[in-house]
Amino acid sequence: MVKKTRERHARKAAALPGLDPEIIAKRKKRHLDELERSNYSEPTLLNTEGDGEPDGTTKGRARQTISDKRDFERPGRKKKSTMNIRTAVLYRKNLSTLIEESHIAEYPSSVPTYLTAVSPPPRYPPRLLCSICGYWGQYKCKRCDMPFCDRSCEEVHNETRCERRVM
Amino acid sequence: MRTAVSEFERGSCQYWMGVRKVLGAKFTLTLVLLLVTVTMMAGTNIIVLDNGASTIKAGLANSDYEHPRIIPNAVVRSKGDKATYIGHEFEQCQDHASLHYRLPFEKGLLVDWDAQKAIWDGLFSNQCLGINTTESSLLITEPYFNLPNMQEVYDQFMFEEYDFESYYRCAPASLIPHGNLFSEPDLPPAECILIVDSGFSYTHVVPLLHGSVVWRAVKRLDVGGKLLTNHLKELVSFRQWNMMDETYIMNDVKESCCYVSVDFRQDLEACRVNLQSNSIVREYILPDLTKDRRGRLRRAGETLAEIDQVLLMNNERFTVPEIVFRPDDIGLEQPGLAAVIAISISFLPQDLQGMFWSNISLIGGNTKFPGFRQRLIDDLRSLAPVEYDVSIVDCVEPITEAYRSAFAFATKSDGQLFKAVAVTREEYAESGSNASLRKFATSDWQAGGIDHSTSEAIQARPEEDRTPQLKKLSRTRSKTVPSTSTSRRR
Repeated sequence: MVKKTRERHARKAAALPGLDPEIIAKRKKRHLDELERSNYSEPTLLNTEGDGEPDGTTKGRARQTISDKRDFERPGRKKKSTMNIRTAVLYRKNLSTLIEESHIAEYPSSVPTYLTAVSPPPRYPPRLLCSICGYWGQYKCKRCDMPFCDRSCEEVHNETRCERRVM
Repeated sequence: MRTAVSEFERGSCQYWMGVRKVLGAKFTLTLVLLLVTVTMMAGTNIIVLDNGASTIKAGLANSDYEHPRIIPNAVVRSKGDKATYIGHEFEQCQDHASLHYRLPFEKGLLVDWDAQKAIWDGLFSNQCLGINTTESSLLITEPYFNLPNMQEVYDQFMFEEYDFESYYRCAPASLIPHGNLFSEPDLPPAECILIVDSGFSYTHVVPLLHGSVVWRAVKRLDVGGKLLTNHLKELVSFRQWNMMDETYIMNDVKESCCYVSVDFRQDLEACRVNLQSNSIVREYILPDLTKDRRGRLRRAGETLAEIDQVLLMNNERFTVPEIVFRPDDIGLEQPGLAAVIAISISFLPQDLQGMFWSNISLIGGNTKFPGFRQRLIDDLRSLAPVEYDVSIVDCVEPITEAYRSAFAFATKSDGQLFKAVAVTREEYAESGSNASLRKFATSDWQAGGIDHSTSEAIQARPEEDRTPQLKKLSRTRSKTVPSTSTSRRR
């Protein structure tokens, strides 16, 4: 009898493919990227009306920039910007392109760079807090690995946040 | 300013004409010469610009600007006002609901030059500082480990667009030794300083030895004010009101309610007792956006109007800033701030490490949370070797500390100090960005590849024979670091 139960437990554990650490890592990364955003919702065409399209292009006209639109009075201001300035203003590059173009990844290891200055991973294991109420998260969701603290938070978790797909 | 000086000159000349008979011509001549030099120096304004990712702290290096103008470094669009506010214009904004932010900075680096140019244009314009950039010099701060290709764009803007007479660009912490944070009367400036600069994008730990940054020991923690506000937004939106689009309001909630817990366990238990009334919970009255009333903290015993909406701040008050000390709470795989400081110090010369443990200071707006300093001392104490003292020098205004240090640097010995390091318009015209590469080499991170003994030897040299030394330095540099020309070829 006891043996049977044990076997059943073992089978159950095998059936759980183990929560794929890769998926969990991906979720964490996505969450951290979200925390870097300047705006939660990107502007729709409706609320930028009369402002040109959000990417700075307007149909039928040359690209317009915000720095051109507002003409600030400045003593000793020049009329026309140089080629370098126009390029910098008009063609925005994203961060990864800029880092790639800076070639800092190819610097010898003796030179510290933006890429190497980041602090190394911690030596202690992560502390788990309840993803619902913020108290210590002693238990983890069997399906999606998110920590919670008690039955009531578990219920809230199951109803709202649980990502069933990590099964 | 110019007219004031020339009037003064004219007036005093008339006065001296009368006195000349008595004193003799020789003395008058000296005086006239002196007046001429005064006028010449007054001709160049030095603009001090601490270009932060969240706010710009700017002013002119004269007595009117000991406290800077602080403007948001953002182009903000207000749905309610149907208007776009660029940098300094934001103070006119009436409707703070669902503001859309366009920030020039991303992950600590300047990526949106269009927005940045608009904000700078406004800053220099008659609406704000009102300066003629072609007759001024500039001292500007750049991100730590700014990318070499970005540095070139900085140079292009300063000379090709704004046409400054000269300019100097450096990381904010490198200016701190010039301020009075570590200066004590009758004592030489501190040799070993460790600056924790916790700003909007990131938190950097920056050790300075003999006044210059030890770049190979600079470490970064990817937690800043932006991340904390966004995290608070997320917590509150899940637990109470949907505030995902209210960055402005949530930033105010963060600044008025949050604190760093010195005993996380105890505070977390205290919050569980009674969710409505415990020693921790605070009520934030959300702004009434129909009546242009600002949000505020509810005072003890204050009665609420019926329409007031209240945001309960319970464990959110301290679990949010806690991320600086435990980044793993949100799954960020980096050690806490104290451990980052310990890692940074471990890269420094063994015999000096004790000095760094006891000369720490905190700058940047993120360090303003109540309890930040105490918590950091507690955490550091458990990591520092027992024989060393741990002490944190108190910084009263951490947001403007870098600006005030830069201001002190620009005004020191009539701007001569600034002049010695700045790149001039002529130098840029002659050799482009190489001019600033050469001139800023002593403070730039790319010099970190040089053998430390050489850079120390340069530091020890007296001021006057610095120029040839600098040339020598740049030659050493090009051997150890791929120069821009080689990187271009690739």
